[in-house]
Amino acid sequence: MENRTTTGASIHWAAEMHAQEYRDGKLSRREFLARATALGVAVPAAYSMIGLAAPARAATPVSQGGTLRIQMEVHGLREPRLYEWSEHGNITRGWLEYLIHYNNDGSFTPVLAESWETSDDAKTITIHLRQGVKWNNGDPFTADDVVHNFNLWCDGTVEGNSMATRMGPLVDPDTKKAIEGGIVAADEHTVVLNLPAPDITILAGIADYPAAVTHPSLNGGNPVDNPIGTGPYMPESYSVGEKAVIVRNPDHTWWNEGNGAYVDRVEFIDYGTDPATVMAAVEAEEVDMTYESIGEFIDILDGLGMVRSEAATAATIVTRPNQSAEVDGKKPYEDPRVRRALAMAVDNAIVLELGYAGRGKPAENHHVSPIHPEYAELPPLVVDPAGAMALMKEAGMENYEHELISLDDGFEKDTTDAVAAQLRDAGFKVNRKVLPGSTFWNDWDKYPFSSTTWNQRPLGVQVLTLAYKSGVPWNETGFNNEEFDKTLTDASAIADADKRRVLMKRLEEIMQEEGVIIQPYWRSIYNHSRPGLVNAEMHAQFEIKYQYIGFAE
Amino acid sequence: MGVFFLRRLGTMLLTALVLTFIVFFLTNLQPNLEKVAKFEGNARMTDAEVASWLEKRGYTQPLLKRYGEWLGVSKGWTYTSDEGRVTGRCIRDNIPAEEAPQRCGLLQGDWGQSSVFKVSAGKVVSEKLALTGRLMLWVMLLMVPLALIVGILAGMREASVLDRTLSTFSIVTTATPEYVSGVIFIAVFTSSAVGLKWFKGTATQAMENPTFENFFLPVLTIALYGMGYIARMTRASMTEVMTAQYIRTARLKGVSFGNIVMKHALRNALIAPFTVIMLQFPWLLNGVVIVETLFNYKGFGWALVQAAGNNDIQLLLAISVVSVFVVLVTQLISDIGYVYLNPRIRIS
Repeated sequence: MENRTTTGASIHWAAEMHAQEYRDGKLSRREFLARATALGVAVPAAYSMIGLAAPARAATPVSQGGTLRIQMEVHGLREPRLYEWSEHGNITRGWLEYLIHYNNDGSFTPVLAESWETSDDAKTITIHLRQGVKWNNGDPFTADDVVHNFNLWCDGTVEGNSMATRMGPLVDPDTKKAIEGGIVAADEHTVVLNLPAPDITILAGIADYPAAVTHPSLNGGNPVDNPIGTGPYMPESYSVGEKAVIVRNPDHTWWNEGNGAYVDRVEFIDYGTDPATVMAAVEAEEVDMTYESIGEFIDILDGLGMVRSEAATAATIVTRPNQSAEVDGKKPYEDPRVRRALAMAVDNAIVLELGYAGRGKPAENHHVSPIHPEYAELPPLVVDPAGAMALMKEAGMENYEHELISLDDGFEKDTTDAVAAQLRDAGFKVNRKVLPGSTFWNDWDKYPFSSTTWNQRPLGVQVLTLAYKSGVPWNETGFNNEEFDKTLTDASAIADADKRRVLMKRLEEIMQEEGVIIQPYWRSIYNHSRPGLVNAEMHAQFEIKYQYIGFAE
Repeated sequence: MGVFFLRRLGTMLLTALVLTFIVFFLTNLQPNLEKVAKFEGNARMTDAEVASWLEKRGYTQPLLKRYGEWLGVSKGWTYTSDEGRVTGRCIRDNIPAEEAPQRCGLLQGDWGQSSVFKVSAGKVVSEKLALTGRLMLWVMLLMVPLALIVGILAGMREASVLDRTLSTFSIVTTATPEYVSGVIFIAVFTSSAVGLKWFKGTATQAMENPTFENFFLPVLTIALYGMGYIARMTRASMTEVMTAQYIRTARLKGVSFGNIVMKHALRNALIAPFTVIMLQFPWLLNGVVIVETLFNYKGFGWALVQAAGNNDIQLLLAISVVSVFVVLVTQLISDIGYVYLNPRIRIS
């Protein structure tokens, strides 16, 4: 089979090894695909390496034209690297494209990057760009543009730039900007990343929603005001909280012309956060697809004749004590015994049943999912309310009244209620507090004890780096553990998932031993679309690629 | 009359000034500023990032200075970054820093940028006011005639069967809050569960294209709630007038009952309801919050909730100004209206 890698180079040794592991039954199909494609193997080739045919793109012929109406919250927009909601990325996805795309089966497909290779020591990443791509103002899309974007992403001096965390060793810890010589345009269509330390998460990071590739002229502005991008669409109007209208750009030839950009007009309509209102909108035939269908409304929307689509994910909800939070001058969750007692009292399977109607899989309190390639299986968790109380007494905290905070919204509230109920069953005093979204997110990482939802990330080390490494911006648990940090740094340098798993096992154990989080379950996520809508399936990272959605002929 | 107007105008300006200062003070308390930073910057920013974000955007200046900026009497803040890029309150819309005006506040006709909606607060308020105005217009058109008819019919013969029936009806509608009646209406008239599906359960499309189908339910929900109250006031006023000496005299002189009600009683009976109706305007302006949220109709009430929830300082100030204006103007109209209803009252 010719052109088996995305670059045409020979297949990475590790990919061949993973194929053997798949045949030996050590890897699942999804894990194999995630690893092989991250190493630069083309998706069809990856499937053929393990003797499978690649899934064909939807065979249904799609008609040109029409208006697609999508229910989704329309948040105030800003420059892409500051995006904090998947919704932000979905709006601009039609004109601001990404280098690579993450698929539901765990693989990566090329978009503006045509191919990429990781060196054997995982210290050099070569990205080959698609040729013949033009910005919609006529400028050619070149390696310089990509270097410019990497520099933007690496700039940690900009408040709220979450891409800087995803860029790992490319960011100089002193200047908080890109390291010298780290990002090089080798020729007009090749970008080489020279990392001082191996890092395997960068490729996954540039597939995430804040990594939209912008034109240099955006200059920190709002992409709606200055809509220069490579994609086939452009914004027509944007009213925060109400509606965003995106239309096909008539003056631009898209690089993928003919394989998408079916509808003429896309409307994102904001129906607020109440799923009952969304249901009313579906009944009134005002929307064609939902952003996400939640809880009991999944069945109700089924009943209204909508087509349900499910994506199994590593998205989750975490009920966590904050170890550094002070309550009345004390740090109630500083003692690992208190945290372990809390986790011990909660049966995750029951929380899944009560809080999310069983639509997912129970999790193991370490935030690494079985769909992550380096997942290591640990002995099952023991639920022991009596033991939990004993441990709490040992810590002298049995009379402490825990205030458990959550968002006042669907499953977040129900799940936290279920956790609270089990803590009460174990004999702890728990006071529940629900906050509306506008208040909750202001201090989400500061609350002493609260629930937070986390979207999925393709690799296990990514999640841990983002949320549990000491002092990182999104560390909401206040977790600060030297052994954990060191092991995590080591693990993040190992491209091979099997070798990484050895360290990951230890990381997972630390998470459990320290009682860092109560993580009840992994969520499956759902959306609904009208019959006849093509490519409107749920994406595991909530991406809506409307340039590929259309109405069946 | 001229002096009266001037005095009213003065009151209005003073009230607006005091109220906006209170709103400004409350929205600029330190925790609220942090909220602004996290909303506009990134919800997951660290404390150090928040501090630097606030500093770069002029929020660390003294309160009075910033209130002056909003009014347009003191110069807008500017900030020069390490790379020499100048940003400032008045520097936007791609106008270079040198050419931007020094002051940009209310006196210059600039309402500031709404942080939630990312456009001028003045534009948000005028658009939202138009949407709510349309809702209010239809509510008034439905509510006022209905309430007056019910009130007059009930009040002209006190304690009759008609009076008891209509009074019960008005008490029931007033006693049912919008969030109860609205939910019932949506369940009964829009859902597949009941199967009537006469109307739409959301009024989102009504913002652009109002039809009877998508706009009637929110109008009805508000109108019913307000109607009972006005009807009760009208009835009380009507029964009182109907027992007055001059009505008895008219009866004794042989004037027909219809003529007594229409020509002699009605005008006097309308004075009290007129005040109540004028008071409905400010109530509607803010009382529509529930119905607008329930039906997802994004008007003034919804904008107020968004602004308050996210501490959108500029928008909250603009909304306060508009609210003061609406309350005082409607009261002015009602004062003038009295003169026509009751010639004994004089404006002095």
